[in-house]
Amino acid sequence: MKRILLAEDEEILRMLVTDTLEDEDYEVDEAEDGQQALELASRNHYDLIILDYMMPMLTGLEVIEAIRTKLNNKSVKILMLSAKSQSYEQEKIIQAGADYFMAKPFSPLQLLEKVKGIVNEY
Amino acid sequence: MKFKNSLSRQFIFLMGTFILAFTIGAAVLLSLLHFLNSSFSEQRTELKEKERVVQAIDKDFNKAFFDARGYLALGNKNLKTSALAQEGKIRILNKKLEKLDPSKENRKLISDIDSFRHYYFDQTLPEAFGNYENGKMDLVIQTANTQATSRVNEFQHLLSNYIDTSEKKLEQNFKYLVKMQTYVQIGFIVFILGILLLLLRIIRIMLRNVGQPLSLLTKAAYDIAEGQISSPIIGSDRKDEIGLLSNAFRTMARKVQEKEEDLMAHNEELMAQQDELQAQQYELETALEIRKQNEEKLKNRNQLTNLISNSLDKQVVLDSIVHTMCKIIGADRGIIALYNDKSSASHGISKKGEEQFLIHMESGLYEKLSFEKKPFAIRRELDLAEKGFHDGILYGHDLYLPIFSSDTHISAVMVFTRYGSPFQESDLGEYMALAKNIGISLDKISLFERSEEERKRNQDILDTVKEGIQLVTIDGRILQVNDQFCEIFNEAELPLVGKPFSVWSRELAEFVEEEDFPDFLKKTVQFNDPAVKVEKAFIYRFKSNSRIIKVYSEDLYRGNEKLGTVFVHRDITKEYEVDQIKSEFVSTVSHELRTPLASILGFTELMLNRELKPERQKKYLATILSEAVRLTSLINDFLDVQRMEAGKQAYDKKYIELLPILNTVIELQKVNTSKHEIILDSCPENPMILGDKAKVEQVFTNLISNAIKYSPEGGPIKIQVHHSGGCLNVDVADKGMGIPKDAMDKLFTKFYRVDNTDQKRIGGTGLGLAIVQEIMKAHDGSVTVESEYGKGSTFTASFPAVESTADPHEQDKTASSGSGYSIMVVEDDTSLVRLIRQELKDSGFNVIAFKKASEALEYLNINTPDAIVLDILLEDAETDGWEFMKTVKKRDNLAQIPIIVSSALEEKEKGFSLGAMDYLIKPYKPSQLSRTIMQTLLKIGKVGQILVPEKEDSRT
Repeated sequence: MKRILLAEDEEILRMLVTDTLEDEDYEVDEAEDGQQALELASRNHYDLIILDYMMPMLTGLEVIEAIRTKLNNKSVKILMLSAKSQSYEQEKIIQAGADYFMAKPFSPLQLLEKVKGIVNEY
Repeated sequence: MKFKNSLSRQFIFLMGTFILAFTIGAAVLLSLLHFLNSSFSEQRTELKEKERVVQAIDKDFNKAFFDARGYLALGNKNLKTSALAQEGKIRILNKKLEKLDPSKENRKLISDIDSFRHYYFDQTLPEAFGNYENGKMDLVIQTANTQATSRVNEFQHLLSNYIDTSEKKLEQNFKYLVKMQTYVQIGFIVFILGILLLLLRIIRIMLRNVGQPLSLLTKAAYDIAEGQISSPIIGSDRKDEIGLLSNAFRTMARKVQEKEEDLMAHNEELMAQQDELQAQQYELETALEIRKQNEEKLKNRNQLTNLISNSLDKQVVLDSIVHTMCKIIGADRGIIALYNDKSSASHGISKKGEEQFLIHMESGLYEKLSFEKKPFAIRRELDLAEKGFHDGILYGHDLYLPIFSSDTHISAVMVFTRYGSPFQESDLGEYMALAKNIGISLDKISLFERSEEERKRNQDILDTVKEGIQLVTIDGRILQVNDQFCEIFNEAELPLVGKPFSVWSRELAEFVEEEDFPDFLKKTVQFNDPAVKVEKAFIYRFKSNSRIIKVYSEDLYRGNEKLGTVFVHRDITKEYEVDQIKSEFVSTVSHELRTPLASILGFTELMLNRELKPERQKKYLATILSEAVRLTSLINDFLDVQRMEAGKQAYDKKYIELLPILNTVIELQKVNTSKHEIILDSCPENPMILGDKAKVEQVFTNLISNAIKYSPEGGPIKIQVHHSGGCLNVDVADKGMGIPKDAMDKLFTKFYRVDNTDQKRIGGTGLGLAIVQEIMKAHDGSVTVESEYGKGSTFTASFPAVESTADPHEQDKTASSGSGYSIMVVEDDTSLVRLIRQELKDSGFNVIAFKKASEALEYLNINTPDAIVLDILLEDAETDGWEFMKTVKKRDNLAQIPIIVSSALEEKEKGFSLGAMDYLIKPYKPSQLSRTIMQTLLKIGKVGQILVPEKEDSRT
């Protein structure tokens, strides 16, 4: 069973993503903010990390940077969710070390397809 | 001059002889000394060598003696061999000795040595050894005692004698050397003395030939200098330099004598000329005196001109005019007064006298002067004060001098008083000329004053402008700036006016963050071709205080000629900040809107595309609903703000009780948090305010929800109500993160949100407090805040105090509209229930609410409400709204109860077909519900006359 870390401060969105993924037999760990996400990422192995951009404590970007440099984990796949959909924002996110990007509001089914693609490819 | 006669040749000859004699003498002595030394050392070496060889022979013989004796005594064969071996050695040494000195004496010594050698080695030793070997020791001893020993001793004596002799010879040689050296030294001293004598002789010759005649010539020269012409007596016959010199000297003396006679003649002529010159000088002196007087006048006039053109300050100029004129004229007192503005200056006149003159100057004096157009003088008796301690009659003279302006009008008058001497007619012309100069300078001053006045007015106009204005000439110099410009650039400390472009552009650029600012200035200042488009505006930011300034440039033309450039610096910091807040707001709002939208869209999609269990469906629908409510309230906030901004917000103010409002809000907010304890701490008895209930509720909802939001760690939220200063204050205090000091001013600004990126990010639109402030202002109250960063904040809403006795009646009246009617609400959304309950209560209805349809039906078994508000999609899986409606309509006792459907479903037709009286589609305003109920009750005749609350109308 593939294991996925989801960091999202909005409880409802967290529920949406978790429900969508768990129905397809993914194991989903939830983090309410950037700090929690980083702690979980440092403890466990994940096939994919889904990060919200705007989060308390640490923003998505900061979490990515910490994972890539502090934890020195270059291989874990990261998908960033953000309401900032402008291309230059996307570029910034990809540059920071995210592998994939998805604009908010997103379709849970599309997200699922994307996750499937990423995890299988992986 | 021939060389053979010259003194130089004589000197060279003498010196040559001297050097030759010295060199030869010294060479002879030195070679003698050298010869002596070398012959001595040769002899000495030879003797030493001989002595050494003889000593070696002696030694070898000795060794032979000892070895022979040793053999005879001990019988050691080695010693025998050694003794015999000595013979060869001695022979060689003897040969060497012979070679060294073949003299007779020496040959004798050599033959002695040889004969002894023969005797010893050829006779004595073989004989002794033979005896010894044959055991005839007594024969050996005998031989030794008879002859051998004495012969050996004799020989040894001979050798030592020889050595002594040669030592003596050496000593003799040395003594001889010392003696010879002494002779040479004496010879040297004699030689030196001879040389010295020669030198003395040479010097004497030189003295006689040169010194004597020179001193004679010197004496003759002194004589000539003293006027005694005498020929030097010496050596006219000499052919050398001295002879020539004395010839020349004689010629000179003769010439001098001739010249002197000439001079005497000349001198007499000169004396005559001098007399003539003296006469001329006297004439010149007289002329000079006259010129000096003229110069003095000119000087005075120059001084006056200088003084009056040096300054443009009128009073200074007037003072210097009056003082200088008094000096020129020789007046004791004087005054100058201008006609147009009555300014004056005086010398020797009291302030009072001056004022008096100013008052009376126009009566008579002006007419007389402007008629005659020339100065006049009068003679008068001095008054007592002027006379001082003098006795008798004294006269003074007054001179009246008019000053004309360029338009020939009298612009000023001067009066001077001179005691004693009268004014000469001839001087008056001079004074008039001075007065004319003064007139010109006064004209200049009044012109300057007028233009200065104009300039000041222009500057005043510029200074009233709110933008910084900077006028730059065509060559880039700053011509003028206004106050605002100075304020922007703190110009008091760097006066830039008059500075060239390179200086001021650099100094301004120091303040500015943008590095291309000087480029912009340069382009606009240098721009001269109207056909070329140049950027005329630039926005820059201050390094020090991050003020943002927009500068426009506009070229200044007169006709087609460019005169310069005007820069207008406008402070746009406020606009810029507002812009920034707005764009931040757009991003916040988009985030705030996207989150509920994302969940609504997401869950809807899941529901449409997946087979879900009913519980999941319900959960999702509830979520969608609550998110939609959240979205609605967000949108309502925006609309509220927009209405407030447009001034369209209307308030329905009544006397209302504060406590129920606070309680309702607290109850509602408690639902949103588990971490916080919301306490209504203290409260005076039954406080009343005059206000719009819904709006007041909104105020407290916003304040308390903020308190919850900004204390994410939880803690108490205390609400206190208290009177102070004619106000009823409500404090909402939290122990949360507090507000940074720099954020306090902007707190109530629309769209402003405290920057809390380093803390937990807290959602929101930045509208809550702006709305609160707007509402409080509309209630003639205020909202204030006290906060310590990191420790919490206290917001205080202050309402004007209301006399508590004045209101309850009105309260009753307005609340009574729907009083008594009981309304059943079937709704599973608790927050909506609260909303509806509140609204209906406010309108005077009694409300009973149910979450489940089945429970509602049970209630209906016993009770009969006046109306039912029904939701269709209910948590109750068994009975939904439709079922409920069908059941109710089936029962006779209930069929008449009007049912108002309140649902998100747009199925009005189905609703009405099942017997609904009205159908409200969510979301709707709660007030709409109460109005609908009223209208429904009215329709069915339950209410005779009912006042439909005007709330809704007054709000929109």
